[in-house]
Amino acid sequence: MQKNDLKARFAEAILPDILNDWELEELIEPLLPLSEEQLGETLRQVRVIWPVSHSLCGNFLQRVAEGLRCLAPDQLADWVKAVLDAYESGGLLAGQALLDEVEKNFLCRLRGETKVRFPEAAGSLAPYATGLFGSPVALAQGPEVYTDTATIFLPPELDLLPTRTDNFRLYKLTISFQWAFTTLGTFRPSLAEAAPLVKGLEQCAHRRLATAEPWLAEFFQLFPSPEQAERLYHLAETARAAAFLRAALPGLMRECAPLLGLLAEKVLSGNHNLLYSALQESILGHKPDSAPASAAASLALLADAYAALAAGETIPAPLPFQGVLRLAAVQEVRQKRRREAKAKFITALASLLGTKNAQIPLSAEKNQETATPKISEGQALLINPEKQKKRPGSPPPSARETTSFLTIDDTLLPLPRELQALAREINDDLGHVPAQYISSAMHLSGKGVARGAPPPGEEGEALGGVNIYDEWDFRRRDFRKNWCSLSLKEIAPTRGTFIGSTLAKYGGDLMKLRRQFEMLRTQERFVKRQKEGDDIDLDALTESLTDLRAGLAPSENLFIRLAREQRSVAALFLVDLSSSTEGWVGTAIKEALVLLCESLAALGDPYGIYGFSGMRRSRAELFHIKHLDEPYNDTVKGRIAAIAPREYTRMGPPIRHLTRILSEREAKIRLLITISDGKPEDYDGYKGDYAIEDTRHALIEAKSKGIHPFCITIDRQAHDYIAHMYGEVNYIFINEVRKLPRRIPEIYRTLTT
Amino acid sequence: MRGKELKIEEHLIVDKPFYLEQGEELPIARAAHENGLPILLKGPTGCGKSRFMQRLAWELQRPLITVSCHDDLSTSDLVGRYLIRGGEAVWLDGPLTKAVRNGALCYLDEIVEARKDTTVVIHPLADDRRELPIEKLGELLTAPPEFMLAISYNPGYQSVLKDLKQSTRQRFVSLEFAYPPEELETAIVKSESGLDAERATRLVRLAAMTRSLKDSGLPEGASTRLLIHAGKLIKAGIAERTAIRATITETLTDEHEMLAALEELVSSLF
Repeated sequence: MQKNDLKARFAEAILPDILNDWELEELIEPLLPLSEEQLGETLRQVRVIWPVSHSLCGNFLQRVAEGLRCLAPDQLADWVKAVLDAYESGGLLAGQALLDEVEKNFLCRLRGETKVRFPEAAGSLAPYATGLFGSPVALAQGPEVYTDTATIFLPPELDLLPTRTDNFRLYKLTISFQWAFTTLGTFRPSLAEAAPLVKGLEQCAHRRLATAEPWLAEFFQLFPSPEQAERLYHLAETARAAAFLRAALPGLMRECAPLLGLLAEKVLSGNHNLLYSALQESILGHKPDSAPASAAASLALLADAYAALAAGETIPAPLPFQGVLRLAAVQEVRQKRRREAKAKFITALASLLGTKNAQIPLSAEKNQETATPKISEGQALLINPEKQKKRPGSPPPSARETTSFLTIDDTLLPLPRELQALAREINDDLGHVPAQYISSAMHLSGKGVARGAPPPGEEGEALGGVNIYDEWDFRRRDFRKNWCSLSLKEIAPTRGTFIGSTLAKYGGDLMKLRRQFEMLRTQERFVKRQKEGDDIDLDALTESLTDLRAGLAPSENLFIRLAREQRSVAALFLVDLSSSTEGWVGTAIKEALVLLCESLAALGDPYGIYGFSGMRRSRAELFHIKHLDEPYNDTVKGRIAAIAPREYTRMGPPIRHLTRILSEREAKIRLLITISDGKPEDYDGYKGDYAIEDTRHALIEAKSKGIHPFCITIDRQAHDYIAHMYGEVNYIFINEVRKLPRRIPEIYRTLTT
Repeated sequence: MRGKELKIEEHLIVDKPFYLEQGEELPIARAAHENGLPILLKGPTGCGKSRFMQRLAWELQRPLITVSCHDDLSTSDLVGRYLIRGGEAVWLDGPLTKAVRNGALCYLDEIVEARKDTTVVIHPLADDRRELPIEKLGELLTAPPEFMLAISYNPGYQSVLKDLKQSTRQRFVSLEFAYPPEELETAIVKSESGLDAERATRLVRLAAMTRSLKDSGLPEGASTRLLIHAGKLIKAGIAERTAIRATITETLTDEHEMLAALEELVSSLF
């Protein structure tokens, strides 16, 4: 291969970047020994990596010759894909790690016959865990197996067993065991049940447990070696969990019996301590009776086993599916849940009380002080259904009634369902709903927090935080994960003459448009000559009788039917605010929006308007002009008047965001209409084919969610790319900018009928 | 329409339908019937609303006329219409009119599916007037004391388009149906499918697991009806896992990963 020829091909591959001759020479040096086929594929991959990271591309070139020694050229793309994924999630070092030692880090994974990696398994294991737990549980990878009851931490990969199926089963078994621990109360044994044992230990250790709410970790502190005590307890609990799972999930335990045996033998055999062999028997299911019956029994078992421990004897390592106990983490989650439940309960109750207060007609609307403390603390009380039952004389509530009531001034106030659930949750945790919660809520409602309006937004103020979106890289045929961040911003409305002058300018058109749109409002019409219908079609009947007399075959379509088509349309307009719309294009777009809003006000379809712009992937911006259900009022008019050109046109993220908004909306027709003046383009590499393909993919995603994308463009070159992006019939090209305002409402009308 | 008409006697339920009470719905419904009040049954699909109506009709010894509502159901579909027969206009009673004339129970299943303007015809029937005006005949029917109106809907859809109007729902005595508690559901599955208690329990447990996946990827959990289907297939000699795949997992979702997860749950239990 000629060096110069290769240099030229390489330079072409990294266009539009241009490198010095000596830089090129250095880069292509490792490629010289490659065959033509390998070289072609390598250069194809260079086009993929180069725009992402130059230094990563350099590393790739260094390693590619070595990689091609064990990879076929057509496997190169998979390798690069994996490297780029690693780069985007873990930075340059992670990418390089995958490039180094291709054999160890990539190829064996590609072959990967036995190993199961967490990300592959998580897709189906996460719903499995949620199904078992009965409420959403997160799965995460971590160095140790444990659960804090909200998340289950699992190893990043499993390769302990000889087959892939078994390794997957081990994941499943691990989750099931963590579920068993949570359900059986391993983390919260009743220390009261084990009172004599606790007392004895307290005497030995010369210290006492905290009386208020003794926690398991403190109990272990009573032993000379808390760590060993904890491990023994966990082992006993594992036996109990195994017995429980055998009853609850017989299929799982049957499938896993061989691998359970394999694992338990590895860890427990060779120990002659009686406890271990008993536990081993029960984990394996030989003698299920030997498992402790309750957490308290496990505590007792632990005390015996601890006493029997020989000096210096080590306790076997935990079984892989058993994991470790992380009591601190469990406690933390519990505390967090308690705090959250408390905060939620207080705000929900406060807003309930707030609305109740608001219903009391008071002249002193401005004077908050007199409006609020209608309820004094002692008068409010939360009644639990159980307590209500115990009350003498009151009629017994039905078995299915689970309603909680709040009494205020001796009147019963039924709680909404959400609040009831919260109260129940708190009750389960603490045994009662503390009076302090209720008094805080009353205090809060007094401040009118629930009724308070958010402060008015300033120019460009961020709303609702940042949304992260993937971006489609067509060269890789895969997403760049979490690539763009899109922030939702507010446009500060301005007052001016714009709206007024637009209305005056298009007065005649508006009258016509409004009439047309009003006609669309209810589509009720009588359809004549139907086989079935609400009423008899007299014309058809007369004709049919005449035909009969005349000896002809009479028609059977004799009825009138009232056909009603309820409009069910939701539309979002996405307006290009790039700097190229400066001047009369921008004005035409604004005028078009005014006409559109005026016409749609006559129709009543829910619609929203958003503008988009931004610069670079880290700062794509979506400007809120009108939400779907926001009324068309002076604020919205002010925002339209305030629309001004901004920066670049990164179309993918705003389309993905609006797709998400629309897909949550229920309507028969969901429209996403883009009004644009040119190609998608951004300051960084977002241009040309890349930008068009990403936009196209975002639109395909929208279509797959049942949303119809449509584009209105005034770009003269649009024909080159827009059909490819939107599909042949899903766009319209308006060649004269001044026609835009009149055309847009018309287009909307034709699209939705 | 010109086929043979079902006679009202054919709507009578002769054999006692199997129904296990969840709460006090039967006494409430009987009391509502005595006092001429209409009832509204709320609850997820396949939890026993229709079976409850059959049982109620059997206990009251009244015919039961069920109308499954759909989005094209018009007022004439309920009240009746003129047909042309041999050159003459003949009036044909709709199911609602037929029920009123005969003092039957009229059950409008999934009422929210019907158009909103259709729902309004039941208003005068559902309050203390208990009347059904038939405009085209110029007739005003007054319902006999035996007549009872019942409607059902599934609040789980949570769709703005398909919510029941306040003016409609505030005329009814509401009975909430949920999936029955574990023991009760086991008894139902056992009795309906003829399966042994042990396997019925496991089916019910599986259902509870799928129900907790609602909103985490499944639109709805397995209903009691699905469990009965599964039980019947198992009883007929189909292998457990195969039967459950056919009746429950594949019915609930098409999504690949969710299917795999459900399969894992099934293989854990069976």
